[in-house]
Amino acid sequence: MLQKLKIVGFGLGAGILSGLLGVGGGIILVPILVSLLGFAQHNAHATSLAVIVPTAIVSSVVYSYHGNIDVVLAITLAAGSIVGAGLGAKWMKHIPAAQLKRMFGALLVIVGVRMLWS
Amino acid sequence: MVIAVSILAGLAAGILSGLLGVGGGIVLVPMMVFILGVSQHIAQGVSLLVIIPTAASGLWHLHKEKLVDYKTAALLSLGAIAGAMLSANFVQSLPAAELKKIFGVFVIIMGGRMIFAKPRAKAENK
Repeated sequence: MLQKLKIVGFGLGAGILSGLLGVGGGIILVPILVSLLGFAQHNAHATSLAVIVPTAIVSSVVYSYHGNIDVVLAITLAAGSIVGAGLGAKWMKHIPAAQLKRMFGALLVIVGVRMLWS
Repeated sequence: MVIAVSILAGLAAGILSGLLGVGGGIVLVPMMVFILGVSQHIAQGVSLLVIIPTAASGLWHLHKEKLVDYKTAALLSLGAIAGAMLSANFVQSLPAAELKKIFGVFVIIMGGRMIFAKPRAKAENK
């Protein structure tokens, strides 16, 4: 019972992040599943997706209720993004991902600073 | 023209998230704000909409491979849905400039984590 409550509590944290920032929440779900609940990386990734789908649905309903949604933009982005994700996953094997990750991390820091500034 | 740009932006976001193994939101939201000139709130709402089909298609593949623990997912979802309702409602009354700053802090933390991450892939290959 206590363990179940704990898991619901972890979910609460992930949900708050998702609604606050408009992200899936995998960023904290996967580490929770791996480090705190002992899941293997693959199972954690799969299980996090099963949480992200209903969470994103609920969050997006709230955003759309307040008029903060653009369906046409979402469809065009999703169309590009689904094709891109397939390409990215394929290229991952041929590209030095560690360096790329570091470069992208640096870009994110710059983007974040710009967001703080403006 | 606008549609072509947003398909290209989606393509770039998809490639980056596939390549780096990060979720779409962290890439999509800044892209919409800086390249497409979308307001912070709408960018986050659209990001959530894009995440639904993307995560669902990933889930479908991994469900077939029997990798999903639905019992744990149900418990996490219970909390996550409650949390999302709280924060998504809270966010609506925040001024865009504030929300942008909150997102900026998140982006900096994520960027820092990526810069200092240990190259795990190599260790696993040994």
